Amino acid sequence: MAVLTVKDLKVRYSAKGPEILKGIDFEVQDDDFLAIIGPSGAGKSTLIRCVNRLVEPTAGSIRLLGEDVCSLNAKALRNLRRNVGMIFQEFNLINRMSVMDNVLSGRLGYTGNIRSFFRAFPQDDVKQALYYLDRVGLSDHINKRADELSGGQRQRVGIARALMQRPKLLLLDEPTSALDPKISREVMALIRDIARELKVPALCNIHDVQLAKEFCNRIIGLQDGYKKFDGATETMRDADLDVIYEMEVL
Amino acid sequence: MTAIDVSPAALAQQGDLRRKRFLKMGLIWALVLVFIGWCVQGTIIEDTDWSRIGGRNGILASVGRYFSLDLGLLPELVIPTLETFMMACVGTVLGCFFSLPVAWLGAANVTPSKAILYPVGRFLMVLSRSVHEIVWALIFVSAVGLGALPGILAIAMRSVGFISKITAEAIENIDAKPVEAIRAVGGNQFQVMYYGILPQIYPVVLATVIFEWDINIRRSAVMGLVGAGGLGLLFFRQMNSFNYSGVSMVIVAILLLILLGEVISHYLRKAVI
Repeated sequence: MAVLTVKDLKVRYSAKGPEILKGIDFEVQDDDFLAIIGPSGAGKSTLIRCVNRLVEPTAGSIRLLGEDVCSLNAKALRNLRRNVGMIFQEFNLINRMSVMDNVLSGRLGYTGNIRSFFRAFPQDDVKQALYYLDRVGLSDHINKRADELSGGQRQRVGIARALMQRPKLLLLDEPTSALDPKISREVMALIRDIARELKVPALCNIHDVQLAKEFCNRIIGLQDGYKKFDGATETMRDADLDVIYEMEVL
Repeated sequence: MTAIDVSPAALAQQGDLRRKRFLKMGLIWALVLVFIGWCVQGTIIEDTDWSRIGGRNGILASVGRYFSLDLGLLPELVIPTLETFMMACVGTVLGCFFSLPVAWLGAANVTPSKAILYPVGRFLMVLSRSVHEIVWALIFVSAVGLGALPGILAIAMRSVGFISKITAEAIENIDAKPVEAIRAVGGNQFQVMYYGILPQIYPVVLATVIFEWDINIRRSAVMGLVGAGGLGLLFFRQMNSFNYSGVSMVIVAILLLILLGEVISHYLRKAVI
C-alpha cells in the first residue's frame, strides 16, 4: 500500500528563480526503503522537504498517510508532521541541550506549551527516550551536551529523536554524508534495522550510490529536477547511473 | 659611499607625491584647529561668566568645599542606596520584557512582517537609545508622579534599545538547522522559538542583560535629579542646601554602589559564559 504518493511535483523558490523540481512522480510503499540518488543540485533535499512541507511545493500533489499535504492548514500540518520522523545531514541537534532533552524534543508535537517551557515531558516519554537511547547505543551519554558527542553519536541522537515521534514514515536527508565511510555504514545499518523492526517505510536522500545499492530496495534517480530512474535496486544498471550523473548541475 | 642608482623619473614622482601629501595633511590639521578654535570661542570664551569666577583662590576654595564627608548623613543614605539598587534591578527586568517583542519584530528572519513590523521594531530600538534616561524620567515623572516608579520606567525604556538590538542580531545570526528540526517534529511557533532559537542566543542575551544592569545602576543613581527617586534625590537636596560635604557623601555612596555592581556583574558574567 502506498504511504506516500507524489504527483507532478514542481518547486521554485521564488517567482523568477529557476525551477528546482520539474514534475516529479513517485510512490513510497509501506515496506519500502527508498533511495533518492543524484548529483548535487539535482533537487534531492528540496524533494524530501516537500513531503512534510518544510519547503512549499509550487505545483503538484502530495498524498501522505491518506492526507492531501498541500491543502493542510498550519495546525493540521503540524499534526501530520508528528507522524513523519526526519533525520538530517548535519544532525540538526540543539547543541546546548543534553542528549536526553534533544531526544525528548521529538515529542514536542504532542507536548503543550507549558510543559515545553519547563521541559517537563511526561514520564512515559522519558521512559521511551531511555529505551531508544539504549537502542541506538548511547546509554552512556544520556546527560552529556549534544555538542560533546562525535559525529556518529550525534546522528544516533538524531535517529532516537525521530523514533520518539513513533513515525509512520522516515525522511532521511543525506544521513551519512557528514560521517566517515565506516560510521556511515553503521548508521545506515542501524536505520535500516530499526525501520524493519518498527515496520516504518523510509525515503532516503543519499549521494553515495554504493550505500544506496547496499541498503535500499528501490532507487529513484534525479537529475536537474527530472526523475531519470525509478526501479528496484537490482534492476539498476551502470547505464542508468550514467544517465543520472550525466550532467553535474553547479 | 657608493652612489646608488635610481631612476630620476621615479625620484621626481616620489618628491611630487610627498609634497602633495604634506600639503594635504597641513590643510586638514589647519581645518581641525580652526574648527576647535571656533567651538572654544563660542562655548568657553563667550559663554563663561568670567567676572564671577574670581581668582585662582576662589576656584580652589569652591572645589575644596567638596573635600570633606558629612558622616552624619550616613543613616539617611541607606534607604536611597537600596532604592537605587532596586530601581536598577526592576528596571532591567522590565526592560528585558519590553525588549522581547521589540527584538522579535526587529529581527529580519523571524519578524512577522518584513514590510511593516520590522521597521517598527528597528525604530523602537533607535527611539529607546536616542532619548536620554533623564528625558525618559522627566516624561514618566509627569505621567505617573514622583518616586521610584517613573525611574524604573525610564530605566526600562532606556534599556530596551540595547538589549533588543543585540538580541535581534543574535536571532539573525542563529543556525537555522535546529529550527528546521523542531518544525519537522511538528513543533509550534513557541516551541520553535524556545527550543530552536533561545538555546542559541541566551549566552549573548544574558551577558548583554548583565552589562545593561551594570549601566542601569549608574542611571538609577541620577534619576532623583528629576524627582524619580533613589540617591539622586538626596544628592539634589544636599546641593540645594549648600551642604557640600553631604554632596560628597552621596557621591561616595554612588561610587560604592557602582563598584558593587561591577563586582557582581563580573562574577555573574563569568558564571554565564
